[in-house]
Amino acid sequence: MKQRPVIDVSELPSVVFGSRAPIWWGVVGLVTIESMGFALLAAAYFYLRGGASEWPPPGVINPPLALTTTALLVLLASSFCMHEAAKAAKRAELGRILRWLIATAGLGYVFLVLRGFEFASMSYEWRSHAYGSIVWVIVGIHTLHILTSAVEKTIFIVLFIRGPVEDKHLTDVATNEVYWHFVSLSWLVFYVILYLEPGFFRP
Amino acid sequence: MSPKSVVIQAEPETPEADLLDEVHHRLEGAWRPEKGFIGWLSEVRHTAIAKRFIVTAFIFFALGGIEALLMRIQLSRPENGLLSPDLYNQLFTMHGTTMMFLFAVPIMEAVGLYLVPLMIGTRELAFPRLINYSYWIYLIGGLLLYSGFFLSMAPDAGWFSYVPLSGPEYSPGKRVDVWAQMITFTEVSGLATSVTLIVTIFKQRAPGMSLNRMPLFVWTQLITSLMVVFAMPAVMVSSSLLAMDRLIDTHFFNPGEGGDAILWQHLFWFFGHPEVYIIFLPATGFVSAIIVPFTRRPIFGYNAIVLSLVATSFIGFGLWVHHMFATGLPQLGQSFFTAASIMIAIPSGVQIFCWIATLWGGRIRFRTPMLFVLGFIAIFVAGGLTGVMLAAVPLDLQVHDTFFVVAHFHYVLIGGAVFPLIGAVYFWFPKMTGRMMSERAGKWSFWLLFAGFNLTFFPMYQLGLQGMPRRVYTYLGESGWTDLNRLATLGGLVLTAGVVVFILNALWSLRHGAIAGDNPWDADTLEWETSSPPPSYGFLYLPTVHGRHPLWMPRENQPVVVGLQDNRREVLVTHTLDAEPDHRDIVAGPSIWPFVLALVTGFTFITVIFTPWALPWGIVLAIIPLVCWFWPRSDMGRVILKEKA
Repeated sequence: MKQRPVIDVSELPSVVFGSRAPIWWGVVGLVTIESMGFALLAAAYFYLRGGASEWPPPGVINPPLALTTTALLVLLASSFCMHEAAKAAKRAELGRILRWLIATAGLGYVFLVLRGFEFASMSYEWRSHAYGSIVWVIVGIHTLHILTSAVEKTIFIVLFIRGPVEDKHLTDVATNEVYWHFVSLSWLVFYVILYLEPGFFRP
Repeated sequence: MSPKSVVIQAEPETPEADLLDEVHHRLEGAWRPEKGFIGWLSEVRHTAIAKRFIVTAFIFFALGGIEALLMRIQLSRPENGLLSPDLYNQLFTMHGTTMMFLFAVPIMEAVGLYLVPLMIGTRELAFPRLINYSYWIYLIGGLLLYSGFFLSMAPDAGWFSYVPLSGPEYSPGKRVDVWAQMITFTEVSGLATSVTLIVTIFKQRAPGMSLNRMPLFVWTQLITSLMVVFAMPAVMVSSSLLAMDRLIDTHFFNPGEGGDAILWQHLFWFFGHPEVYIIFLPATGFVSAIIVPFTRRPIFGYNAIVLSLVATSFIGFGLWVHHMFATGLPQLGQSFFTAASIMIAIPSGVQIFCWIATLWGGRIRFRTPMLFVLGFIAIFVAGGLTGVMLAAVPLDLQVHDTFFVVAHFHYVLIGGAVFPLIGAVYFWFPKMTGRMMSERAGKWSFWLLFAGFNLTFFPMYQLGLQGMPRRVYTYLGESGWTDLNRLATLGGLVLTAGVVVFILNALWSLRHGAIAGDNPWDADTLEWETSSPPPSYGFLYLPTVHGRHPLWMPRENQPVVVGLQDNRREVLVTHTLDAEPDHRDIVAGPSIWPFVLALVTGFTFITVIFTPWALPWGIVLAIIPLVCWFWPRSDMGRVILKEKA
């Protein structure tokens, strides 16, 4: 009988990290889609602003900068914790993963409480005027992202406490870092656009 | 990957038939769908889901076609009383919405879902459960639109729902809300499908299939999916803002409170123009795939075609404003978007010339798929040229909102997308079903469609130049438009006959077509290597390739892949650029939860039309199926790091 050459792949690993893993590409795809959505909302904000005679409209009081800045710092700190969790995942240290995930989710929930105060201290609603509509929608959609993402972390925490933890969950946690950085860093941009710029750089 | 981990070795003997049989049975066991109705809802195999997509999309195509035919009959004589103005408004809105959102985009992606894994030599898509979810959410969106239609709640503000007509003041009731929610469904589906296709194409190509050896069809699917990722968020944002204006009193498009109606047009067309290329580029993939086997030669200018696709996808994002020339723009804006609109003819032209060069001097086999390709070239060139005309602002202003525009986009969409699509069905039907479609009926369907199409739409160019406006339910006899309208309606009937012959041919051939065999057209790409229809696991041994036409350049010592476990759903993941083996991945198996999640999402998006509280409730409800979807299952065969406490 004839011989047939083969490529034997049985020795190849089945858990990998970063751009080698298909799920990483999936998350990057999701982040791209949502970044596009955020970018278009920002574009809508500036389009409406371009047509306005006064921006923000008279009588608008935005949340105090101390509050919004604290919230931003909390979010950036949570990003650091998520990075540590992902690092632990790449070394398969289950205990460290759990601790850093709890820290990330905890800071996420703290941020959500601060976000509640942020909403409460706005002097306008989504139905007040177009400015109110675009600001509420941007802040609201971002809040939704933090909320769902924090709940996702919580589910991971339950999984890592209860088991069964599989090898692929290491990749999942490591990949989750990408998404969490996206939701926290995108707020850096909107913080500047919505809260810092309109009052801060202009007298 | 360390090079050592892949061993190229010689199997001692060609495997015996009974060994192959054993491998087959083990793979069948691992890739078998679950039984019963629940199993049917839990299906994840890309071939099965893609077939559901294709059949559903063709049903919507038929519905959209019936709506078009009703409008044509209404316009066949002046002051016809067949349709009321209100019903006519609903019909043209339903027709456009159906054809764009429920037919054209889904079916182009569905063909990709079926063929891409086979063409790149893998067993399954990267995210099979997501595709199942994608199908159900698409179906629910379509059912919502048509339930609305039968409850007299069909949208009636045009497929692009311009504000202020579609706003809360001029469109009270729920009609436009149904439209806005349907958008969300189909776009979620389209985005999920696109990401899955991108990841599958980047990561699961057969060893050796570097990017520059990828079939052009796969290139078009990749580039189209990337366009979807960047374009579709725009329509989701715009339809959500519209829904909020209507449901919770925001003021995005309300000039009275600082909003802006033109903002809607920008957001919508930022999606809407790339959408045209999202429909057209996959069709060029069909053409490139069909033209090769029927001329028996490699495609001319592979690199030029790939670069044209990339160029089209970029320029496609820079010309949305040519839909808005009549809104009053600064001159620089007009010039920029005119230039971009004319420029996009260059990459399209490059592709056309590459196909002509491939045909030139070749021994063309005039089988049905090839006829559709040739018909495509003729019609698309005619449509594309009027596109160049429309890019000029003075001409555009003259014929804006007339039948000239209707003729133009039907030439490019039917000629540019539907003709290649039907050609593709004739071409790949044997692969999907194992049987050939009738050649005789095929030729009939082609000539009826070709003649009917031109009879229907060519007169519309002239009608547009004579000033007949779009979206008006009737006209006066004195306007002098009667004869051409009658001709167009007659053409519409011939066109319908062509579609009917095509559908009957497909249905008849399912049972009675000649047995096809693995590769009836003697084509060159990997999907023709496996049996027709393909087994549940795709390939017995994953292939490797060493060129662009793997089946035309077989080598004695071309290796196959061994070492994937055949008792679970394992796929080989390769490097993004050069497709060298990297690792083994396990893809998800059947699960009912994507279906349940689709039901919850559907419930949420539909109830939100009636109360905003549906949104928080829906999000809470969605947690359950999401957790169940991702919760580890013991039957996946993964390594456990920590046992269940």
